[in-house]
Amino acid sequence: MTGSKQALNGVRVLELSALAGAVAGRVLADLGAEVIKVEPEGGEPFRRSVPTVPTAYGEESGAWLAFNHGKKSVTLDIDSDEGLATFARLCKTADIVVTDWERLTLAQMDRLGAAARDANPALVFAEILPFGRGAPYQDYAATDTTLQALGGHLYLNGDVDRPPVRISLPVGLIQGGAEAASAALMAYHHSLKTGEGQRVDVSVQECIVWTLLNSTMAWQILGLNEMRGGAIRKERANRFFTRLVWETKDGYIFFGPVGGGGGAARIKSYEALVKWMNEDGFDDPILTKNDWNGDGQFFISQEDYDAVTAVIMSFIKAKTTEELMERAVRERILLAPISSVAGVFENRQFRARGLFRKLDDPARGLSVELPSHWANLSETPLADPRPAPAPGADTDAIFAKETEGSLT
Amino acid sequence: MSLDSASALDCKTGIFAGLKVADFTWAAAGPIATKQLSDNGATVVKIESFKHPDSIRLGGPFIDDKPGINRSGFFADFHSSKLGIAVDMSNPDAIEIIRPLIEWADVVAESFRPGVMKKWGLDYESLKAINPSIVMLSSSLYGADGPWARHPGYGAQGQALAGVHAMTGWPDRPPAMPKGAYSDSVSPRYALSALLAALIHREKTGEGQHVELSQVEATTQLLAPELLIYQATGEEITRQGSRKAGSILHGIFPCEGEERWIAIEAVTEAQWTAFTALLGDTDALATARDQGPDALEAAVANATESWDAFALMAACRDAGVPAGVANKASDLLDDDVFAARDHFWPLHHEEMGTLKYNGPAYRFERTPSDLRFASPRLGEHTDAVMSGILGYDDAQIAAFRERGLLG
Repeated sequence: MTGSKQALNGVRVLELSALAGAVAGRVLADLGAEVIKVEPEGGEPFRRSVPTVPTAYGEESGAWLAFNHGKKSVTLDIDSDEGLATFARLCKTADIVVTDWERLTLAQMDRLGAAARDANPALVFAEILPFGRGAPYQDYAATDTTLQALGGHLYLNGDVDRPPVRISLPVGLIQGGAEAASAALMAYHHSLKTGEGQRVDVSVQECIVWTLLNSTMAWQILGLNEMRGGAIRKERANRFFTRLVWETKDGYIFFGPVGGGGGAARIKSYEALVKWMNEDGFDDPILTKNDWNGDGQFFISQEDYDAVTAVIMSFIKAKTTEELMERAVRERILLAPISSVAGVFENRQFRARGLFRKLDDPARGLSVELPSHWANLSETPLADPRPAPAPGADTDAIFAKETEGSLT
Repeated sequence: MSLDSASALDCKTGIFAGLKVADFTWAAAGPIATKQLSDNGATVVKIESFKHPDSIRLGGPFIDDKPGINRSGFFADFHSSKLGIAVDMSNPDAIEIIRPLIEWADVVAESFRPGVMKKWGLDYESLKAINPSIVMLSSSLYGADGPWARHPGYGAQGQALAGVHAMTGWPDRPPAMPKGAYSDSVSPRYALSALLAALIHREKTGEGQHVELSQVEATTQLLAPELLIYQATGEEITRQGSRKAGSILHGIFPCEGEERWIAIEAVTEAQWTAFTALLGDTDALATARDQGPDALEAAVANATESWDAFALMAACRDAGVPAGVANKASDLLDDDVFAARDHFWPLHHEEMGTLKYNGPAYRFERTPSDLRFASPRLGEHTDAVMSGILGYDDAQIAAFRERGLLG
């Protein structure tokens, strides 16, 4: 892709961030916004967070590099009066500010927010916080893991004979960042039409609740708190436990062959599986004993379910993951490989669609592919990766324009 | 109708007041995205039929535990503030109703398997011929092209392929299934950002476009750092149980009562000191810390198990230590933070009664979101939309119904 127009060309974003704010800036930069990181002298602390990778600049955070390419950087002491005045002048040229609680305290946000609002009433000021604004909860200490817990997702993950277990990724912070990007764009859409800017705050705890899908309704309607499961769990308010992780000859697949709702596609998927099993000589009568995926699915006994699982398990264990997925795609069987990082990197479908784009950063000695082409916009394609800035790389250029009076 | 149909058809407040959306999305990922439009003032018309209702109407939990087309809480939560019409899309004459709806709309959203909209003559090129500045959002599990494009699937397959599933659980065991269907919750945020960027571009230039995305690909954004590290160093990061590099203490610990757990993380020395002080036995905990993570976690678990989880969390909050009870769904409905933030919206539905719907994760200072009414019963607003939006009179609506198009 070359210099084609992008949807957010001409939109200027100021970013004061650790991880979550950087993700918000990432989404906006991908869509074509000019994202300027406002950093302390020497760079923001998140540049050095673990795990790091070695580059020509020393050890740099992998997450920082993944979410900050293609942005600009100015350095500014935001706590000084002079720095605040400079920030306010920058706000006159900006449309959106994004920030998060791991980078700024609430007091800093309030101080910057007030200056920003005075300087530019049309500005959108987006904050990512553990619980949001407006009550004593805004001061509670939190981290991604404690928010995975408070949002109700942690309780539902893991084997029953061990404590609940988190997703080993900062999912709350990243989803908070993506949520802030979309919320900031909603507010910017409003500002564009009316000239009215505003603050928008995002709660990571609420973002986590939005990953539960039906748990809060299951409690209200059935008085049911679902129990966690590892490879085996009770899915979607079923009355029985189903196996969802199956060992193959060389890895694992996700598969819910019977039970769990889903309608016609599940019924056809199971028929295709049984056909394949029959071809291989698996013809145990249990395979067709029940209406496994139709209306009868809600009344299956655990005993029957366990019996059919044992038969299917021995069939799957003899196949490779690749073999299973190939036939699954051909015959519409609803299974999927449980991909490791390498599996994601090599995924044939992602490769065919061009999800991965090259990030060439010769100054760092870094050349990698990133999953940066996450949407296709027919008239305004996403931006391709460009190197991430050194701290203050654009200070002179951005403020030189300012002194000339040509602010954007 | 239990709601004032005139205000339901034309909301005057909210960021998207006046925005018109023809919504063909189904299941979770698509409807969660369009809910952000309807809850912020857009007029969203959801198109289904009795032959092919949205499949999550068939997924529980059902009111009174009895399956029924208008009884699913799963469906309800994603459809606040939306109008529902029933049009038999398998009838070729359905285009007589859909065409004026496309002319009316600013946005057409859909989340079918690729090929379905084209079969109905509603692919982007056809929509553009009807309404040149239309913005179309297409969100599918695998994307519109590529070898797996037409492979059916749900978010549970999505989270496996996106790498989230393998990152969940214990390193010595098979990956644990994360609850839900992670691509259904991650991808709407990306879909919405792209859709909004397209609307902003249209606002500035008048030009519409087609926004297409794969829910699985959007979800891989969660692993962008791990993918970069894998290429830069060869190290393939995987699930780590409850350990986390860089934190002094990080774990899930037992508390008093049945299945009561608390997540505690000490990132700084100050947090560690405050935490050990509130637990008491600081020397033993310091010794355990020196002995390594197994000893440390055992010592902390030993100290927390006699605590009430919520009392311990309150003590941690007072001391500035990050702590979170592993909330059960029932706890969420009683959560004091959610109560103070008005997270849940009680909405009345004629067949389901009053249920608390999840509101958004963001708050606008000046233009608040508003979950205006409960999810539609299938076809609940067919007549209101046919007359109030498309301008048909009673006789014309009766004629469409006679021909079997409105069901």
